[in-house]
Amino acid sequence: MSRIFVWDIFVRLFHWSLVGLFTANAFFTNPEGSRHRYVGYAIAALLLARLAWGFVGNRHARFRDFPPSTRGAIGQLREMVAGERCAHAGHSPLGALMIYNLIVTVAAIAATGYMQTTIMFFGYDWVEELHGALVTWAEISVVVHVIAVVAESRRLRVNLSKAMIDGYKTLPDKSSAT
Amino acid sequence: MKRSIALLNGQSRVLLVLIIVQIVCAFFFVYDVARDIESLDDLAHLIPESLATICLVLGIAVEIRVLLGLLRHQQHLMQGLDVASGALAELMASYFTQWNLTAAEQDVAGFAIKGYSIAEIAGLRGSAEATIKAQLNAIYRKSGTQGRAQLVSVLVEDLLRAPLVTSDKPKQRTVPVH
Repeated sequence: MSRIFVWDIFVRLFHWSLVGLFTANAFFTNPEGSRHRYVGYAIAALLLARLAWGFVGNRHARFRDFPPSTRGAIGQLREMVAGERCAHAGHSPLGALMIYNLIVTVAAIAATGYMQTTIMFFGYDWVEELHGALVTWAEISVVVHVIAVVAESRRLRVNLSKAMIDGYKTLPDKSSAT
Repeated sequence: MKRSIALLNGQSRVLLVLIIVQIVCAFFFVYDVARDIESLDDLAHLIPESLATICLVLGIAVEIRVLLGLLRHQQHLMQGLDVASGALAELMASYFTQWNLTAAEQDVAGFAIKGYSIAEIAGLRGSAEATIKAQLNAIYRKSGTQGRAQLVSVLVEDLLRAPLVTSDKPKQRTVPVH
């Protein structure tokens, strides 16, 4: 067993702030109100900070550490089918795909939300509908993300959600260092 | 054999990308159908759209099954390759993890496959014969085999399935190795 530091304080703060702010805007704030707008700006700012951190942050926070890769994703799926265990220190290939999906979706939600405040796009139905559809997509993605974290924690016998709280993953010795 | 694994890998990657794209498409169709059902004003539009969406979702399900089949086949070939390159130990280890054997059981199973008697294994591991017997029973139960001969035959089956000489090498040794 080895206990390694993977998620730095910024990544964890980003993750849980996004959870809180997204939940607030999806379920609690009035979409027409100013609070919804300010929470939206906060999410956009968080996202920009995360993008910057993806280039200058610590090792596992960088995009270079988890490039989108179908080769890796297929490898991980094959391991699942075969019942092998090969835990990853940072994002696993399939996990990385989900991270990109969430980043792009939340960015698109923020963009379509902002568009509704501009004179140019105000009152267009398609912007509002797209905003709503993207939120539903994000909600489904979050559900899949949580199910996948639980399932992978069980398969790999590594508590992945704990790592997003204290930053440390406890990995069995025979695991890849990626 | 390496070539066919690479080919399968390429096919499964294409399939994975296709599945992801179609899931995104299916989401927007399902979302649209759900909204149309709410208003329920244009049945001539709603019914064909629902049918097309159901077909799309079924298609995705079939693709996922095909992908899992490809991955299993790939895994199978890779196992065969392991055997062909003489990595019997790795093959054993992969079966042991698949069967969830404990470290002690893996040791005992290894000795049993190598042909040691219960008394010999007890001597080698410095434990009582009754312990070894209990561990062997656990091994047979977990592997779904009914004794040492069957346990060995699981591995022998894999050995026989793989060609002894891979087709990548020049065909010089044509004398059968009976």
